[in-house]
Amino acid sequence: MIPKGSIHSLVTLALAGSAMAKVDFANEVRPILNEHCTACHGGVKEAGDVSFIYREKALGKGDSGKPVIVPGDPDASEMIVRILSTDPDEVMPKPEHGPPLAAEEVATLRQWIKEGAEWGEHWAFTAPEKHPAPEVKDTDWPQNEVDPFILARLEAEGLKPSEPADRAALLRRVSLDLTGLPPTPAEIDSFLADESKDAFAKQVDRLLDSPRFGERWASVWMDLARYADSEGLGVDRRRSVWKYRDWLIDSFNKDLPFDEFTIHQLAGDLLPDATLEQKIATTFHRLTQSNNEGGTDDEEFRVAAVIDRVNTTWEVWQGVTMGCVQCHSHPYDPIEFGEFYQFTEFFNQTIDADLSEGYPVLRVPLDSTRNAEVNALHRRIEKAEQDLHAVRQELRSQTRWTWPTGMTAEGDKTKLSVVKHEGVEEYRTVGNVTQGSTFKLNIPVADDLGTVTALRVEFWPDDPETAAHTPEWGADLKQIKVHLVGQGSEIAIPLAEVIADEAHPLFNPNASLTGKGRGWGTYSKTFGPRHAIVLPKEPIDLPAGATLRVTMRQGGSILASFPMVSERGRVAITNSDVWAAHLSDPRVVALQKEIADAKSKLKAIPTTTVPVMKERDPAFARSTHQFIRGNWLEKGEVVEQAGTPGIFPPLKARDGKPDRLDMARWIASADNPLTARVAVNRFWLELFGVGIVPTPEDFGSAGEKPTHRELLDTLAVRFTDEMGWSVKSLLRELVTSATYQQSAVTPADLAKRDPDNRLLARGPRQRLTAEMVRDHALAASGLVHHETGGAPTHPPIPGGVWKPFSSDKWDTPKEGSPDRYRRSVYTYWKRSIPFPLFITFDAPPRELCSKRRIVSNTPLQALAVLNDPAFHECAKSLARVMKYDTEGSLDEKLAAGYRRATSREATPARIDDLRALYNELVASYEKDPTTMKDMAGTPDGAAFTVVASVLLNLDEALIR
Amino acid sequence: MNLLQHLQTEQLRHITRRHFLRDCSTGLGGMWLASQAMGAGNSMPQHDPSRPLAALAPTFAPKAKRVIYLHMVGAPSQLELFDYKPTLQKFDGKDCPSEFLEGQRFAFIQGTPKMLGPQFEFKQHGTSGAWISDRLPELARHADKLCIVKSMQTDQFNHGPAQLLVHTGNQNLGYPAMGAWTTWGLGTENQNLPGFMVLISGGRVPRVGASLWGSGFLPSVYQGVQCRSTGDPVLNAANPPGITRDIRRSALDSLQKLNRRTLDEFGDQETLTRIAQYEMAFRMQISVPEIMTIKDEPESIHEMYGTQPGKESFANNCLLARRLAENGVRFIQLFDWGWDSHGSNKNEAINHGFKSKCDSIDKPIAALLTDLEQRGMLDETLVVWGGEFGRTPMQENRGGGSGNAFVGRDHNPNAFTLWMAGAGVKPGISYGETDEMGYNVVNNPVQVRDFHATLLQILGFDAKKLSFPFQGLDQKLIGVKPAKVVKDILA
Repeated sequence: MIPKGSIHSLVTLALAGSAMAKVDFANEVRPILNEHCTACHGGVKEAGDVSFIYREKALGKGDSGKPVIVPGDPDASEMIVRILSTDPDEVMPKPEHGPPLAAEEVATLRQWIKEGAEWGEHWAFTAPEKHPAPEVKDTDWPQNEVDPFILARLEAEGLKPSEPADRAALLRRVSLDLTGLPPTPAEIDSFLADESKDAFAKQVDRLLDSPRFGERWASVWMDLARYADSEGLGVDRRRSVWKYRDWLIDSFNKDLPFDEFTIHQLAGDLLPDATLEQKIATTFHRLTQSNNEGGTDDEEFRVAAVIDRVNTTWEVWQGVTMGCVQCHSHPYDPIEFGEFYQFTEFFNQTIDADLSEGYPVLRVPLDSTRNAEVNALHRRIEKAEQDLHAVRQELRSQTRWTWPTGMTAEGDKTKLSVVKHEGVEEYRTVGNVTQGSTFKLNIPVADDLGTVTALRVEFWPDDPETAAHTPEWGADLKQIKVHLVGQGSEIAIPLAEVIADEAHPLFNPNASLTGKGRGWGTYSKTFGPRHAIVLPKEPIDLPAGATLRVTMRQGGSILASFPMVSERGRVAITNSDVWAAHLSDPRVVALQKEIADAKSKLKAIPTTTVPVMKERDPAFARSTHQFIRGNWLEKGEVVEQAGTPGIFPPLKARDGKPDRLDMARWIASADNPLTARVAVNRFWLELFGVGIVPTPEDFGSAGEKPTHRELLDTLAVRFTDEMGWSVKSLLRELVTSATYQQSAVTPADLAKRDPDNRLLARGPRQRLTAEMVRDHALAASGLVHHETGGAPTHPPIPGGVWKPFSSDKWDTPKEGSPDRYRRSVYTYWKRSIPFPLFITFDAPPRELCSKRRIVSNTPLQALAVLNDPAFHECAKSLARVMKYDTEGSLDEKLAAGYRRATSREATPARIDDLRALYNELVASYEKDPTTMKDMAGTPDGAAFTVVASVLLNLDEALIR
Repeated sequence: MNLLQHLQTEQLRHITRRHFLRDCSTGLGGMWLASQAMGAGNSMPQHDPSRPLAALAPTFAPKAKRVIYLHMVGAPSQLELFDYKPTLQKFDGKDCPSEFLEGQRFAFIQGTPKMLGPQFEFKQHGTSGAWISDRLPELARHADKLCIVKSMQTDQFNHGPAQLLVHTGNQNLGYPAMGAWTTWGLGTENQNLPGFMVLISGGRVPRVGASLWGSGFLPSVYQGVQCRSTGDPVLNAANPPGITRDIRRSALDSLQKLNRRTLDEFGDQETLTRIAQYEMAFRMQISVPEIMTIKDEPESIHEMYGTQPGKESFANNCLLARRLAENGVRFIQLFDWGWDSHGSNKNEAINHGFKSKCDSIDKPIAALLTDLEQRGMLDETLVVWGGEFGRTPMQENRGGGSGNAFVGRDHNPNAFTLWMAGAGVKPGISYGETDEMGYNVVNNPVQVRDFHATLLQILGFDAKKLSFPFQGLDQKLIGVKPAKVVKDILA
């Protein structure tokens, strides 16, 4: 059912060179197995206990007891026997599963078995090597090291490269490709006038140095990063992440090497002495969706985010589809189910947990020149909090806690009981719980205790063993009060401090003293027992027979649904002296002052926030498990340690236990066989319209084979090696090739022979991306306003579109205000209401990582450029440029407009067309001037506006 | 084998056609026969890239030509409409038996809730004896046309994911909607209109928005086009001020002339497609507003539907659905917001807001069925009505319960009701059964994916075969879990 047509012939040709060699497993056998066998005998199913993913397994015996493959002996191999069988019950593939193998496929398999049935790794999973430039006949054509590879293939196919593109068209192509904007008339003039040999190279350098370069390439990366200014799912609230977008623009502009670019995004927070920029980079993986719809489970969406981070990491950097391994081993590639979850562990220990507040977030100064200053303050706070925590950990280790005997417990809106668990009395709720309940625990105090210097409040999950991997809803200690209850008397004990069991709690624990704020707790879900220490202002002297009453007001409901009420807990007391002196300990006083001081300095700086990756305290690590059939509620085997799939070069851990930073470095390594190849292919795809591997999303054995593998591998090695991962160097290499500079004219026979231009016998001719469509119109009409970075903008949006589910304002600046005409990369991106023009022109909604935009050509695109009020505004502006800003005759005015829209000179015939239209329009508007109401004041102004709209709608204005 | 390869080849294999703009009026059955005669018969649609929406034949003879899908956003209570539970009445006001609470995840229920009996009177209707409550008296007259599935189940119990599951087969964002799959598979019959159109009422857009009618990984031309009741009926359909239809035509003639010069110069077949799409856009500027204007419908029709031209209402949308269906639109999706009857306020209470929601849909749906039947279209149109999940037999007891002035029920993924009428389904039957409380399915459960498989079957596709390669999987509307066609309800 698959037409083999042109692609098949390409593949055949690619193989022709090795026709006399031994059968190559990866190139010749694996495709046959994938097509006919692995659906039943592969990573998903191992029917009859037979699988063709690993050699070891394929050489074994299936349920039939017969050896599947006997190296050297095809006739003894059950595989061949079954393929050739004429018995409908025996033959493979089963008739209902697929057609029989073609004779040449059987021959290939037989030959391969005869030669020893050697297994070979899929090409993309082995290290790339640099290849010498192939010999070519036309030695004049190549301009750099890319070209011989392209030309050799063309010559082998009997094709010739095209003429060089005309210079204006070439400048348009390279300007849009590198900066996303067309060249200005002055830039075109200067290039056309430059007769030096390196004229084009100079233009390329100018474009690479332009601040617009980063804006263009950030847009590309934002699809991969699923960048949006809203949370997605459910309520889809606005979230502040634009500092990450600015980081991207800045990183591309300053040519941050791609390996560092990678490490910063995956694990910048874990780098020693991480800079603020490196921390901002980690927003990359906080761009997962979160769900704040009432009644949704934070853990479900935390897990979804973790899985998304695994899949996205693999898709972006490795070009491997991991999504399927969530449920079962990879159907084609040797990546196992367990390995997916080992990789998951890298991401399973961060603090973020689909919390409504988006925590953890990082305060970032609006003025990025103050980044270092703010980072220093963050570090001071963190260091002091860490030191304070260490002091308190020390005290904890010296404390002997006394557990109550004879405790009673009463709750107002939720029933309580007291049970003894492992010798300790604890309260438990009875039945369903209700928000805002108040618990009173009456603790008879042993006479020998004398004083109480501290209390210890513990919140437990109902079932700690299960909670370690599948957490329960947590609880807030909204307010705590302690009373000394004697006979007939009740004295309130003033409390001084609530101390959390971690260094950096997300909320101030002392809010539990006042009841204002969330306070200490296990919000929003709890993986295990947690505790806080509560210090009275003065040690409590205990009269004989006294009872201590601890009153704990529980939290309210979150997500309109889940009561933050502790279902199980206990309280202990101590008379240990270490706590009595704690708050006046000079070290503690100094640290608390340090924290307060740094915080107040930070508060004085105007900031915004970004969500960031941050590890949990290892003391509270989550237990990572496999999910049975990918279902997060069904936990399977525990994952002991994070790891990477075994078929790849091993990961080097800095110290024993591999973490996210080790993983990031493993990816951003020249030893990783995929990273550089996938990156090179991605940049190639952007420039040429189709990748060397045409399926950028799948470098595995089910993806398409590279059209020019030796070129891809050579470029990959050069990228990591001689270019030092410099993206600008790579792009310079690609666009200065003769290949790139060819004319895009497509003769009919070539269009038939190679419709998607995989052989590159001509230059690329791509439609503008969604962002470019708008930016191009703004630039061509002279409206665009350039300003790098800043909060999202709200350009004009068609009426009736903006109906957000929850309140979220779209305030468009008035006509003439600069922010109305900023580039598209700055447009506010809401997942549930994506900017209509972008979606119409194939931008993804950015809910998930998107590796490639499939270019469509629809009537809605025509309606947008013809009628969208924003484009009409551009047409009016371009009309003014023609009418007022251009000196000379009508023809000269029309030519100027044409050139702004297409970067090219209009041919006389085109000028004739435009003049005819213009004259017809003038006549028509003169005849009935009322028709031009609300558009123009004069018939010629109206005519220029309509002509301008035609120019902006030209096919040539929509391509690069 | 790689189907993406195939798709890409198709996408890029440009076919020059002189008459790329002609309408296709061949019936589906006829096309199917023709394709059989030519020996074609696989379920991978073969698109002509210059006419990606041209009508295509399905795999086997379809029962329905098109779908009108009425989604009650928020999940209407099946216990007040179709799933009559006299036993539940006996438990009304009593504490919920513990076996219903243990091990269940609820969206909102806290404390021990009380059971809530059916709030309205039920009667049997028609010769089929279908149980329908007094909330839908007009629809009840059509009882013998309905195929009521009382045993629907989903595994999502929050609105967003559950709505996505119903419409895209996946609870996550980024997957194609049923309508996108359908138009990808079948194209559409009228090249002057999009094949998949969406109409919204109730004052709000469903919370996951356009993803409910997105094309996911399918080409964007198959996404649903939302028609609006205010402003342009389709985005940017109106010319800007100062540009009349005649002027637009002149401008377009010049544009096309210039583009043909570019085509001659560069030979890029995309240019040819673009010329075609600009013509289609020009036609849509007339055809869409025309079809979306209901004021010229006869008074009798307005009376039957309860429509008021110029207003956003479910009734107007039902009439529009008929008009779109009549004009060859393949998949017509209605969303009506406001069915989330938790009892947390008046609008969301079964004893208040729910009643008026029922009033607002009863007459229009009945009218739609009558109208389709009168025009001989019901036997080629599948009408579907449903929500994203069901509601609990327990009364919701938020925050410990108050005076119960507002009666409500929580989300129940374990059982809900969906009905179909028209082409492809048995009329006058009830399928599946819930327990005596209406909480769980006890007989003939139908998962959302089973429903999808059944729907595609009615449209002429084997749901297991209609697939698109993405992220290393052959993605299907039915997802990866086993799905079955509910044969017992097929006509």
